[in-house]
Amino acid sequence: MKVIVSRSGGMAGIRLTWEVRVEEQPDPATWADFLNSLPWDDVTDSEATPDRFAYRIRCAPHEVVIAEPQVNGPWRDLVNRVRAANGM
Amino acid sequence: MDNPQISPGLHPNCTIVPPYLLVRLAKLDDPRFAQAAAAARASLLRDSQIRQLRGGTHPFAYSGARTLPARTPGQSDRTISDAGGQERLPGRRVRAEGQPAGSDPAVNEAYDGLGATQNLFWTQYGRDSIDGAGLPMDATVHYGKEYDNAFWDGERMVFGDGDGQVFNRFTISSSVIGHELTHGITQFTANLQYQDQSGALNESISDVFGALVEQHAQTQSTDEASWLIGEGLFTDQVEGVALRSMKAPGTAYNDDVLGKDPQPGSMADYVETEEDNGGVHLNSGIPNRAFYLVAEAVGGNAWETPGRIWYDTLTGTGLRRDSDFAAFAAATTETAARLYGSGGTAHDAVLRAWATVGVLTGSE
Repeated sequence: MKVIVSRSGGMAGIRLTWEVRVEEQPDPATWADFLNSLPWDDVTDSEATPDRFAYRIRCAPHEVVIAEPQVNGPWRDLVNRVRAANGM
Repeated sequence: MDNPQISPGLHPNCTIVPPYLLVRLAKLDDPRFAQAAAAARASLLRDSQIRQLRGGTHPFAYSGARTLPARTPGQSDRTISDAGGQERLPGRRVRAEGQPAGSDPAVNEAYDGLGATQNLFWTQYGRDSIDGAGLPMDATVHYGKEYDNAFWDGERMVFGDGDGQVFNRFTISSSVIGHELTHGITQFTANLQYQDQSGALNESISDVFGALVEQHAQTQSTDEASWLIGEGLFTDQVEGVALRSMKAPGTAYNDDVLGKDPQPGSMADYVETEEDNGGVHLNSGIPNRAFYLVAEAVGGNAWETPGRIWYDTLTGTGLRRDSDFAAFAAATTETAARLYGSGGTAHDAVLRAWATVGVLTGSE
Protein backbone atom coordinates (compact mmCIF):
# COMPACT_ATOMS: atom_id res chain seq x y z
CA MET A 1 0.00 0.00 0.00
CA LYS A 2 1.39 3.39 -0.91
CA VAL A 3 0.20 6.97 -1.04
CA ILE A 4 1.55 9.51 -3.51
CA VAL A 5 1.06 13.25 -3.14
CA SER A 6 1.93 15.35 -6.16
CA ARG A 7 1.85 19.13 -5.91
CA SER A 8 1.75 21.06 -9.17
CA GLY A 9 1.17 24.68 -10.10
CA GLY A 10 2.08 27.50 -7.80
CA MET A 11 3.66 30.67 -9.14
CA ALA A 12 6.78 28.68 -10.00
CA GLY A 13 4.88 25.91 -11.80
CA ILE A 14 7.28 23.31 -10.41
CA ARG A 15 5.89 19.86 -9.58
CA LEU A 16 6.99 18.07 -6.45
CA THR A 17 6.01 14.52 -5.54
CA TRP A 18 6.16 12.79 -2.17
CA GLU A 19 5.53 9.08 -1.70
CA VAL A 20 5.00 6.91 1.35
CA ARG A 21 5.12 3.10 1.36
CA VAL A 22 2.90 2.27 4.26
CA GLU A 23 4.48 -1.09 5.10
CA GLU A 24 7.91 0.57 5.41
CA GLN A 25 6.67 3.02 8.06
CA PRO A 26 7.24 2.39 11.78
CA ASP A 27 3.45 2.50 12.33
CA PRO A 28 1.87 0.88 9.23
CA ALA A 29 -1.45 0.10 10.95
CA THR A 30 -1.93 3.74 11.95
CA TRP A 31 -1.16 4.83 8.39
CA ALA A 32 -3.60 2.30 6.89
CA ASP A 33 -6.38 3.34 9.25
CA PHE A 34 -5.76 6.98 8.53
CA LEU A 35 -5.75 6.47 4.75
CA ASN A 36 -8.96 4.42 4.92
CA SER A 37 -10.63 7.13 7.00
CA LEU A 38 -10.09 9.90 4.44
CA PRO A 39 -13.24 11.28 2.76
CA TRP A 40 -12.18 10.15 -0.73
CA ASP A 41 -15.67 10.28 -2.19
CA ASP A 42 -16.51 13.73 -0.85
CA VAL A 43 -14.00 15.67 -2.95
CA THR A 44 -15.65 18.03 -5.40
CA ASP A 45 -14.19 20.12 -8.21
CA SER A 46 -13.53 23.75 -7.53
CA GLU A 47 -12.74 26.73 -9.76
CA ALA A 48 -9.00 27.02 -10.37
CA THR A 49 -7.42 30.22 -9.08
CA PRO A 50 -4.17 31.77 -10.31
CA ASP A 51 -0.89 30.49 -8.90
CA ARG A 52 -2.36 28.30 -6.17
CA PHE A 53 -1.08 24.76 -5.82
CA ALA A 54 -3.07 21.74 -6.99
CA TYR A 55 -2.63 18.48 -5.07
CA ARG A 56 -3.11 15.12 -6.76
CA ILE A 57 -3.39 12.41 -4.14
CA ARG A 58 -3.27 8.76 -5.14
CA CYS A 59 -3.80 5.70 -2.97
CA ALA A 60 -5.19 2.82 -5.02
CA PRO A 61 -8.02 2.56 -5.82
CA HIS A 62 -8.51 6.22 -4.92
CA GLU A 63 -7.31 9.30 -6.77
CA VAL A 64 -8.40 12.87 -6.05
CA VAL A 65 -7.27 16.34 -7.15
CA ILE A 66 -7.75 19.06 -4.56
CA ALA A 67 -7.09 22.78 -5.00
CA GLU A 68 -4.87 24.30 -2.31
CA PRO A 69 -7.62 26.38 -0.65
CA GLN A 70 -9.60 23.15 -0.12
CA VAL A 71 -6.68 21.23 1.39
CA ASN A 72 -8.00 21.43 4.95
CA GLY A 73 -8.77 19.09 7.83
CA PRO A 74 -7.75 15.48 7.16
CA TRP A 75 -6.32 16.34 3.72
CA ARG A 76 -4.03 18.92 5.22
CA ASP A 77 -3.07 16.37 7.83
CA LEU A 78 -2.29 13.84 5.10
CA VAL A 79 -0.11 16.24 3.10
CA ASN A 80 1.81 17.20 6.24
CA ARG A 81 2.29 13.56 7.25
CA VAL A 82 3.48 12.52 3.80
CA ARG A 83 5.90 15.43 3.59
CA ALA A 84 7.18 14.72 7.11
CA ALA A 85 7.74 11.05 6.23
CA ASN A 86 9.85 12.29 3.31
CA GLY A 87 11.86 14.52 5.59
CA MET A 88 10.48 17.86 4.37
CA MET B 1 -27.13 61.15 -4.67
CA ASP B 2 -28.85 58.80 -7.05
CA ASN B 3 -29.58 55.34 -5.85
CA PRO B 4 -27.58 53.10 -8.14
CA GLN B 5 -29.46 50.53 -10.12
CA ILE B 6 -28.16 47.01 -9.84
CA SER B 7 -28.56 44.89 -12.92
CA PRO B 8 -30.56 41.75 -12.28
CA GLY B 9 -27.63 39.45 -13.03
CA LEU B 10 -25.29 40.97 -10.45
CA HIS B 11 -24.82 39.75 -6.93
CA PRO B 12 -23.73 42.73 -4.87
CA ASN B 13 -21.84 40.84 -2.19
CA CYS B 14 -18.71 39.60 -3.97
CA THR B 15 -15.31 40.62 -5.33
CA ILE B 16 -13.26 43.71 -4.85
CA VAL B 17 -15.30 46.69 -5.88
CA PRO B 18 -18.89 46.51 -4.83
CA PRO B 19 -21.15 46.50 -7.88
CA TYR B 20 -23.00 49.59 -6.76
CA LEU B 21 -19.74 51.50 -6.73
CA LEU B 22 -18.97 50.20 -10.19
CA VAL B 23 -22.40 51.32 -11.33
CA ARG B 24 -21.71 54.75 -9.92
CA LEU B 25 -18.30 54.96 -11.53
CA ALA B 26 -19.68 53.75 -14.81
CA LYS B 27 -22.16 56.61 -14.82
CA LEU B 28 -19.66 59.37 -14.09
CA ASP B 29 -19.67 62.04 -16.77
CA ASP B 30 -16.79 64.09 -15.45
CA PRO B 31 -14.01 63.79 -18.09
CA ARG B 32 -11.41 63.55 -15.33
CA PHE B 33 -12.92 60.20 -14.46
CA ALA B 34 -13.47 59.03 -18.01
CA GLN B 35 -10.96 56.24 -17.68
CA ALA B 36 -12.26 55.06 -14.34
CA ALA B 37 -15.77 55.14 -15.72
CA ALA B 38 -14.78 53.13 -18.78
CA ALA B 39 -12.95 50.63 -16.60
CA ALA B 40 -15.90 50.36 -14.30
CA ARG B 41 -18.24 49.69 -17.20
CA ALA B 42 -15.91 46.95 -18.42
CA SER B 43 -15.70 45.50 -14.92
CA LEU B 44 -19.45 45.46 -14.56
CA LEU B 45 -19.81 43.49 -17.74
CA ARG B 46 -17.20 40.94 -16.75
CA ASP B 47 -17.73 40.77 -13.03
CA SER B 48 -21.19 39.44 -13.40
CA GLN B 49 -19.55 36.24 -14.64
CA ILE B 50 -17.10 36.09 -11.73
CA ARG B 51 -19.77 36.80 -9.21
CA GLN B 52 -22.02 34.15 -10.63
CA LEU B 53 -19.18 31.66 -10.57
CA ARG B 54 -18.05 32.40 -7.07
CA GLY B 55 -21.30 32.52 -5.19
CA GLY B 56 -21.10 32.44 -1.40
CA THR B 57 -20.43 35.26 0.96
CA HIS B 58 -17.54 37.59 0.47
CA PRO B 59 -15.04 37.29 3.32
CA PHE B 60 -14.59 41.05 3.52
CA ALA B 61 -18.02 42.56 3.87
CA TYR B 62 -18.05 46.03 2.39
CA SER B 63 -18.56 48.70 5.01
CA GLY B 64 -19.38 51.57 2.67
CA ALA B 65 -16.74 53.70 4.40
CA ARG B 66 -14.44 54.07 1.40
CA THR B 67 -16.96 55.22 -1.18
CA LEU B 68 -15.12 57.36 -3.73
CA PRO B 69 -12.51 58.92 -1.45
CA ALA B 70 -10.95 62.18 -2.51
CA ARG B 71 -7.78 61.01 -4.18
CA THR B 72 -5.57 62.03 -7.04
CA PRO B 73 -5.98 59.63 -9.95
CA GLY B 74 -2.85 57.53 -10.42
CA GLN B 75 -1.67 57.93 -6.86
CA SER B 76 -0.98 54.56 -5.29
CA ASP B 77 -2.73 53.49 -2.12
CA ARG B 78 -0.69 50.60 -0.72
CA THR B 79 -1.10 48.65 2.48
CA ILE B 80 1.30 45.89 3.46
CA SER B 81 0.32 43.38 6.14
CA ASP B 82 2.35 40.71 7.90
CA ALA B 83 0.83 37.23 8.36
CA GLY B 84 3.58 36.33 10.84
CA GLY B 85 4.01 32.81 9.46
CA GLN B 86 0.32 31.97 9.73
CA GLU B 87 -2.01 31.23 6.82
CA ARG B 88 -4.58 33.76 7.92
CA LEU B 89 -5.30 36.85 5.87
CA PRO B 90 -4.85 39.75 5.89
CA GLY B 91 -2.51 39.66 8.92
CA ARG B 92 -1.22 42.59 10.93
CA ARG B 93 -1.02 45.90 9.09
CA VAL B 94 2.63 47.04 9.06
CA ARG B 95 2.99 49.74 6.42
CA ALA B 96 0.51 52.11 4.85
CA GLU B 97 0.93 54.46 1.89
CA GLY B 98 3.46 57.18 2.56
CA GLN B 99 5.00 55.58 5.62
CA PRO B 100 8.79 55.22 5.58
CA ALA B 101 10.65 51.99 4.91
CA GLY B 102 11.36 49.78 7.90
CA SER B 103 13.85 47.01 8.57
CA ASP B 104 11.90 44.11 7.04
CA PRO B 105 13.05 43.58 3.44
CA ALA B 106 9.89 41.64 2.53
CA VAL B 107 7.70 44.58 3.55
CA ASN B 108 9.90 47.08 1.73
CA GLU B 109 10.11 44.96 -1.43
CA ALA B 110 6.35 44.42 -1.51
CA TYR B 111 5.72 48.14 -1.01
CA ASP B 112 8.20 49.14 -3.71
CA GLY B 113 7.02 46.41 -6.10
CA LEU B 114 3.42 47.53 -5.85
CA GLY B 115 4.57 51.10 -6.46
CA ALA B 116 6.60 50.05 -9.52
CA THR B 117 3.58 48.18 -10.89
CA GLN B 118 1.24 51.10 -10.37
CA ASN B 119 3.85 53.36 -11.97
CA LEU B 120 4.09 51.25 -15.14
CA PHE B 121 0.36 50.87 -15.64
CA TRP B 122 -0.51 54.48 -14.82
CA THR B 123 2.26 56.29 -16.69
CA GLN B 124 2.32 54.03 -19.75
CA TYR B 125 -1.26 52.86 -20.17
CA GLY B 126 -3.27 55.30 -18.05
CA ARG B 127 -4.57 52.46 -15.90
CA ASP B 128 -5.25 53.45 -12.31
CA SER B 129 -4.54 50.38 -10.18
CA ILE B 130 -5.86 46.84 -10.53
CA ASP B 131 -9.43 47.73 -11.42
CA GLY B 132 -8.61 50.85 -13.43
CA ALA B 133 -10.44 52.90 -10.80
CA GLY B 134 -7.85 53.36 -8.06
CA LEU B 135 -8.52 50.25 -6.05
CA PRO B 136 -6.28 50.20 -2.96
CA MET B 137 -3.39 47.77 -3.41
CA ASP B 138 -3.10 45.33 -0.55
CA ALA B 139 -0.41 42.74 0.03
CA THR B 140 0.44 40.28 2.76
CA VAL B 141 4.01 39.04 3.39
CA HIS B 142 5.34 36.22 5.60
CA TYR B 143 2.37 34.03 4.68
CA GLY B 144 2.63 30.50 6.03
CA LYS B 145 5.62 28.55 7.23
CA GLU B 146 8.39 28.11 4.65
CA TYR B 147 5.67 28.75 2.09
CA ASP B 148 7.02 28.31 -1.46
CA ASN B 149 4.60 30.49 -3.32
CA ALA B 150 3.04 33.84 -4.10
CA PHE B 151 -0.49 34.35 -5.38
CA TRP B 152 -3.29 36.78 -6.04
CA ASP B 153 -6.32 35.62 -4.05
CA GLY B 154 -8.91 37.81 -5.76
CA GLU B 155 -8.41 40.68 -3.33
CA ARG B 156 -4.76 40.89 -2.39
CA MET B 157 -1.27 39.73 -3.23
CA VAL B 158 0.13 37.12 -0.89
CA PHE B 159 3.84 36.28 -0.55
CA GLY B 160 5.53 33.36 1.20
CA ASP B 161 9.04 33.39 2.65
CA GLY B 162 10.19 30.34 0.71
CA ASP B 163 11.82 27.33 2.33
CA GLY B 164 15.34 28.77 2.24
CA GLN B 165 16.65 25.63 0.48
CA VAL B 166 15.12 25.97 -2.97
CA PHE B 167 13.31 29.29 -2.77
CA ASN B 168 14.13 32.64 -1.23
CA ARG B 169 11.33 35.00 -0.22
CA PHE B 170 8.92 35.65 -3.10
CA THR B 171 9.09 39.46 -2.81
CA ILE B 172 12.74 39.35 -3.88
CA SER B 173 11.86 39.77 -7.56
CA SER B 174 9.80 42.69 -8.83
CA SER B 175 8.77 40.58 -11.83
CA VAL B 176 7.02 38.22 -9.38
CA ILE B 177 5.21 41.12 -7.71
CA GLY B 178 4.17 42.50 -11.09
CA HIS B 179 3.09 39.00 -12.12
CA GLU B 180 0.73 38.65 -9.14
CA LEU B 181 -0.76 42.09 -9.53
CA THR B 182 -1.37 41.48 -13.21
CA HIS B 183 -3.50 38.45 -12.27
CA GLY B 184 -5.72 41.01 -10.56
CA ILE B 185 -5.86 43.17 -13.68
CA THR B 186 -6.71 40.16 -15.82
CA GLN B 187 -9.48 39.25 -13.38
CA PHE B 188 -10.98 42.71 -13.85
CA THR B 189 -10.64 42.69 -17.63
CA ALA B 190 -10.49 39.65 -19.96
CA ASN B 191 -10.86 37.34 -16.93
CA LEU B 192 -9.27 34.48 -18.85
CA GLN B 193 -10.29 31.08 -17.54
CA TYR B 194 -7.46 29.49 -15.56
CA GLN B 195 -7.39 26.25 -17.51
CA ASP B 196 -5.59 24.98 -20.63
CA GLN B 197 -4.73 27.60 -23.29
CA SER B 198 -6.78 30.46 -21.82
CA GLY B 199 -5.08 29.70 -18.50
CA ALA B 200 -1.65 29.70 -20.13
CA LEU B 201 -2.54 33.10 -21.64
CA ASN B 202 -3.57 34.32 -18.19
CA GLU B 203 -0.16 33.18 -16.94
CA SER B 204 1.72 34.63 -19.88
CA ILE B 205 0.07 38.04 -19.50
CA SER B 206 1.22 38.07 -15.88
CA ASP B 207 4.76 37.21 -16.99
CA VAL B 208 4.71 39.84 -19.75
CA PHE B 209 3.70 42.68 -17.45
CA GLY B 210 5.80 41.30 -14.60
CA ALA B 211 8.83 41.57 -16.87
CA LEU B 212 7.75 45.02 -18.04
CA VAL B 213 7.37 46.25 -14.44
CA GLU B 214 11.01 45.29 -13.86
CA GLN B 215 12.28 46.69 -17.16
CA HIS B 216 10.39 49.96 -16.72
CA ALA B 217 11.62 50.40 -13.14
CA GLN B 218 15.22 49.78 -14.22
CA THR B 219 14.92 51.62 -17.55
CA GLN B 220 16.09 48.60 -19.52
CA SER B 221 15.52 48.36 -23.24
CA THR B 222 14.70 45.01 -24.84
CA ASP B 223 18.42 44.48 -25.58
CA GLU B 224 19.44 45.21 -22.01
CA ALA B 225 16.74 43.24 -20.18
CA SER B 226 17.16 39.70 -18.88
CA TRP B 227 13.63 38.62 -19.86
CA LEU B 228 13.69 36.37 -16.80
CA ILE B 229 10.78 35.87 -14.43
CA GLY B 230 11.72 35.46 -10.80
CA GLU B 231 15.42 36.20 -11.04
CA GLY B 232 17.01 35.75 -7.59
CA LEU B 233 14.15 33.63 -6.32
CA PHE B 234 16.21 30.43 -6.27
CA THR B 235 18.78 30.01 -3.52
CA ASP B 236 22.45 29.45 -4.35
CA GLN B 237 21.86 25.71 -3.96
CA VAL B 238 19.79 25.57 -7.14
CA GLU B 239 21.33 25.33 -10.59
CA GLY B 240 19.26 27.99 -12.26
CA VAL B 241 18.89 31.73 -12.81
CA ALA B 242 15.12 32.16 -12.56
CA LEU B 243 11.72 30.45 -12.80
CA ARG B 244 11.20 31.18 -16.46
CA SER B 245 12.87 32.76 -19.45
CA MET B 246 10.64 34.61 -21.90
CA LYS B 247 13.46 34.96 -24.40
CA ALA B 248 14.42 31.27 -24.30
CA PRO B 249 11.72 29.19 -22.61
CA GLY B 250 13.08 25.96 -21.18
CA THR B 251 16.50 27.37 -20.21
CA ALA B 252 15.87 29.04 -16.84
CA TYR B 253 17.08 26.15 -14.71
CA ASN B 254 18.55 22.67 -14.93
CA ASP B 255 18.91 21.22 -11.48
CA ASP B 256 19.42 17.79 -9.90
CA VAL B 257 16.41 18.21 -7.63
CA LEU B 258 14.07 20.35 -9.74
CA GLY B 259 14.95 18.83 -13.08
CA LYS B 260 15.10 20.90 -16.24
CA ASP B 261 12.91 23.91 -16.96
CA PRO B 262 10.06 22.22 -18.89
CA GLN B 263 8.65 25.26 -20.70
CA PRO B 264 8.07 24.95 -24.45
CA GLY B 265 8.83 27.86 -26.76
CA SER B 266 6.69 26.77 -29.68
CA MET B 267 3.56 24.79 -30.49
CA ALA B 268 5.67 21.86 -31.67
CA ASP B 269 6.53 21.20 -28.02
CA TYR B 270 3.12 22.07 -26.51
CA VAL B 271 2.63 20.08 -23.30
CA GLU B 272 -0.59 18.12 -22.87
CA THR B 273 -1.06 17.46 -19.17
CA GLU B 274 -3.70 17.32 -16.49
CA GLU B 275 -1.33 18.78 -13.91
CA ASP B 276 -1.22 22.50 -13.18
CA ASN B 277 -4.67 23.16 -14.67
CA GLY B 278 -3.56 21.83 -18.03
CA GLY B 279 0.02 23.08 -17.82
CA VAL B 280 -0.77 26.79 -17.51
CA HIS B 281 2.74 27.52 -16.15
CA LEU B 282 4.34 25.40 -18.87
CA ASN B 283 2.59 26.35 -22.09
CA SER B 284 2.74 30.04 -21.14
CA GLY B 285 6.27 29.79 -22.56
CA ILE B 286 4.78 29.90 -26.07
CA PRO B 287 2.96 33.26 -25.82
CA ASN B 288 5.81 34.55 -23.61
CA ARG B 289 8.26 33.96 -26.41
CA ALA B 290 5.87 35.52 -28.94
CA PHE B 291 5.89 38.71 -26.87
CA TYR B 292 9.68 38.69 -26.65
CA LEU B 293 9.94 38.23 -30.43
CA VAL B 294 7.67 41.24 -30.99
CA ALA B 295 9.84 43.30 -28.63
CA GLU B 296 13.01 42.13 -30.35
CA ALA B 297 11.65 43.03 -33.78
CA VAL B 298 10.34 46.44 -32.73
CA GLY B 299 13.35 47.33 -30.56
CA GLY B 300 13.64 50.00 -27.89
CA ASN B 301 11.58 49.80 -24.71
CA ALA B 302 9.28 46.80 -24.61
CA TRP B 303 6.68 48.55 -22.44
CA GLU B 304 6.04 51.02 -25.27
CA THR B 305 4.72 49.56 -28.55
CA PRO B 306 4.71 45.82 -27.63
CA GLY B 307 3.34 46.47 -24.13
CA ARG B 308 0.67 48.79 -25.51
CA ILE B 309 -0.49 46.16 -28.00
CA TRP B 310 -0.75 43.50 -25.28
CA TYR B 311 -2.40 45.90 -22.81
CA ASP B 312 -5.01 47.09 -25.30
CA THR B 313 -5.77 43.51 -26.26
CA LEU B 314 -6.17 42.46 -22.62
CA THR B 315 -8.48 45.35 -21.78
CA GLY B 316 -10.33 45.53 -25.09
CA THR B 317 -13.29 43.57 -26.34
CA GLY B 318 -11.50 41.06 -28.57
CA LEU B 319 -11.04 38.30 -26.00
CA ARG B 320 -13.41 35.81 -24.42
CA ARG B 321 -12.93 34.00 -21.12
CA ASP B 322 -11.94 30.87 -23.02
CA SER B 323 -9.86 32.43 -25.79
CA ASP B 324 -7.09 30.14 -26.97
CA PHE B 325 -3.64 30.99 -28.36
CA ALA B 326 -4.95 31.42 -31.90
CA ALA B 327 -7.68 33.80 -30.74
CA PHE B 328 -5.17 35.81 -28.72
CA ALA B 329 -2.79 35.92 -31.68
CA ALA B 330 -5.60 37.20 -33.91
CA ALA B 331 -6.60 39.78 -31.30
CA THR B 332 -3.05 41.13 -30.83
CA THR B 333 -2.59 41.24 -34.59
CA GLU B 334 -5.80 43.24 -34.95
CA THR B 335 -4.75 45.58 -32.13
CA ALA B 336 -1.34 46.15 -33.71
CA ALA B 337 -2.92 46.98 -37.08
CA ARG B 338 -5.44 49.32 -35.48
CA LEU B 339 -2.93 51.18 -33.31
CA TYR B 340 0.13 51.24 -35.57
CA GLY B 341 -1.19 50.65 -39.08
CA SER B 342 -1.83 47.56 -41.14
CA GLY B 343 1.40 46.38 -42.72
CA GLY B 344 3.47 48.56 -40.41
CA THR B 345 6.50 47.39 -38.43
CA ALA B 346 4.49 46.50 -35.32
CA HIS B 347 1.76 44.65 -37.21
CA ASP B 348 4.36 42.73 -39.16
CA ALA B 349 6.32 41.92 -35.98
CA VAL B 350 3.23 40.50 -34.28
CA LEU B 351 2.34 38.34 -37.28
CA ARG B 352 5.87 37.01 -37.56
CA ALA B 353 6.15 36.31 -33.83
CA TRP B 354 3.01 34.19 -33.72
CA ALA B 355 4.14 32.36 -36.88
CA THR B 356 7.58 31.68 -35.38
CA VAL B 357 6.09 30.04 -32.29
CA GLY B 358 3.74 28.03 -34.49
CA VAL B 359 0.45 29.57 -33.42
CA LEU B 360 -0.31 31.28 -36.73
CA THR B 361 0.52 29.45 -39.90
CA GLY B 362 0.90 30.55 -43.51
CA SER B 363 1.70 34.17 -42.71
CA GLU B 364 5.47 34.11 -42.86
